[in-house]
Amino acid sequence: MSRVDAKHIWKIYQGGVEAVKDATFHCEDGEFLAILGPSGCGKSSTLRMIAGLEEITRGELLFDGKLVNHLSPRERNIALAFETYALYAPLTIYENIAFPLKAGGLKGSEVNKKVKQIAEMLDLTDVLRRKPAHLSGGQQQRVSLARALIRDPNVSLLDEPLSHMDQRVRVVLRARIRRIHDELKDTTIYVTHDQEEAISLADRIVVMDLGVIQQMGTVDELWNQPANKFVAGFLGEPAMNFLEGRIEKPQEVSVAGGEGRASFQLSGEVEERYVGREVTLGIRPQKILVFPNNKEDKLLPSLIEVIEPLGESKILTAKLDETELKIVTSREIEAQVGQIMWLEFRPEDIHLFDKETENALIKKLDEKG
Amino acid sequence: MAEVKVENVTKSYGRLVAVNNVSFSCKDGEFFSILGPSGAGKTTTLELIAGIKKPDSGEIYIGDSLVNDLSPQERDVAMAFEKYSLYPHFSVYENIAFPLRAPTRKEKLSPKEERKKVEEIANLLGIGELLERRPQHLSGGQRQRVSLARAMVRRPKIYLLDEPIAHLDAKLKVSARTTLKRLADKLGITIIYVTHDYKEALALSDRILILREGRIEQIGTPEEVYLYPSSDFVGRLIGDPPINLIDGEVIKKDGKTFLKVEEEFSIQIRQALVGLTEKVAWEEDGRRRIRIGIRPTYVKVSKEKLCDTSFQLPVYAVEHKADSSIVSFELKDTFLIARTEQRVDWRMSEKVWLDFDQEHLHFFKKTVDVSKR
Repeated sequence: MSRVDAKHIWKIYQGGVEAVKDATFHCEDGEFLAILGPSGCGKSSTLRMIAGLEEITRGELLFDGKLVNHLSPRERNIALAFETYALYAPLTIYENIAFPLKAGGLKGSEVNKKVKQIAEMLDLTDVLRRKPAHLSGGQQQRVSLARALIRDPNVSLLDEPLSHMDQRVRVVLRARIRRIHDELKDTTIYVTHDQEEAISLADRIVVMDLGVIQQMGTVDELWNQPANKFVAGFLGEPAMNFLEGRIEKPQEVSVAGGEGRASFQLSGEVEERYVGREVTLGIRPQKILVFPNNKEDKLLPSLIEVIEPLGESKILTAKLDETELKIVTSREIEAQVGQIMWLEFRPEDIHLFDKETENALIKKLDEKG
Repeated sequence: MAEVKVENVTKSYGRLVAVNNVSFSCKDGEFFSILGPSGAGKTTTLELIAGIKKPDSGEIYIGDSLVNDLSPQERDVAMAFEKYSLYPHFSVYENIAFPLRAPTRKEKLSPKEERKKVEEIANLLGIGELLERRPQHLSGGQRQRVSLARAMVRRPKIYLLDEPIAHLDAKLKVSARTTLKRLADKLGITIIYVTHDYKEALALSDRILILREGRIEQIGTPEEVYLYPSSDFVGRLIGDPPINLIDGEVIKKDGKTFLKVEEEFSIQIRQALVGLTEKVAWEEDGRRRIRIGIRPTYVKVSKEKLCDTSFQLPVYAVEHKADSSIVSFELKDTFLIARTEQRVDWRMSEKVWLDFDQEHLHFFKKTVDVSKR
């Protein structure tokens, strides 16, 4: 197992397309790191550079402090599992899993022991004698994972390994992937466009957009203190609502609605120079509190336009003046289309962003100075 | 606008019975979904209503007329499919206007009337600004909406939509869904909507029909099918993470009733619910067995013992949501999944306490396989 350090790495393709720009990040020994972003953000190029499948245009890649830029994929000793599992159809599952070991010249009894061990972990023991064609999609996926993980690699690289799986199978497969990681303590880098998957599996997440790292941190950090509007909007579904706000005081923002403006306290404060200026206010759909009546004239009136029940919860689409908001409430909250509901935002749930730079504005009070 | 009635309809392809003696009616102005996994017969059902396929037996009514022998045009239905086949050399405007210009249409519109209709539907779908563009310059979501607009620009008796937003990414889907629901509410039209995505069915529909291998499994409102699934199949189809289905033997001991799942793992069934177990129990190797269903939200987990009926299991793995966690436990035959209210940071193999909220316990016959695939 290895620690991975990427230092100012660039990928510039022929014709000058900059796929990855000056990316610096690390993955601790034994850590589960996700690289998350929309298609074309540079995440797969980054993974391919780590794997050695793609040349690093500029910058340094280190495994345990040793430069590996010029090592082949084999010399880097990495395990790769891709979205499309290419299993050898004429071979049994046992032979498929054993393949990388035999290729490495390991003794028969050793191979046998290792295959049994990994098959046990992935619940494949019963199908070892079968051919891939007789396995379900979920089982094939696990064989592919088993084959990737069996070699005690320095680093496991997983590129959207679950993306074409049935939603119902995913929950269990995610649990398995996490479990294997917990057992093997392997250094894992996991590329995905699916924010839910990144959140569910990773110790830390690197968020990329347009070839640039937007933020990296734990789920908590990304969720509660998104560095900019992109990160705030990319994590969470339905996405965070954005509306116009005006800074009244360093610790107070107001929002127009109905006849007047409602003011909300902030959990920290913004720089003095923003007072009186318009900013973008962000609030997650799950965090908007809704009431059938106004409370001491302090709430925002919104018109309920669409109600979508989803089992435990429901999504309300509401108009606040001209802005459309998504609100996620519990099944029990009564609401009708055409009804006015009153909205409240709690200080800890309000995010503010500069209208130009889109960077986050609220500084925690204890972080000051 | 019209009611659609399907009576005892069967359709086979060779030896495969795709739709098996299906009867239902969709009311005038209703948003009616057909939900099921692939191969359930959803699309065939829709094609039978559209007139693209003929039933082997049974009757189909639109309004008061029997339409079995009518062509798709004569039935006056509009269809939109998952794959939007837009004409690449036409502008968005021309694509949407196309059905209005069909030579079979009796009423001819003046260019002004046509523009009015196209603009109206385009604006409702939020593509009013794109009318002069070509399809290749649009995003996937925009093309989807053009395809919907084309299906909806006419005012046929009914709209038949087959997975119209299935391949959009998660974020676009949420907004397309809302657009569709808003549109259906505004126009008050009759829609029959085919989907394999339970979220779409719940969010959009007045009522949902659940199909399984060509047969009707349940028909009900979104609330009914979610809260009172008629079978383990329906329970499993609706909800994410899916409902837990656990099989066990019914055991009576000291006047109490238990579900013995494994040698070391039994769950006490509250007395008031014992009657329900009788209806679904089956005999296996001389033992009375039942299947219970419980949604992950109603599996309570804690470091401390919760109450008398609590039991302990070692954690298999913990995954996170933004403000909750999904904790899995490995049983002999399946995984038990719990969704917590807050994020938890338990380690694998750590023992925690569980309890089922028995208000939300379901009892089923065993009709689906839930082995650890």
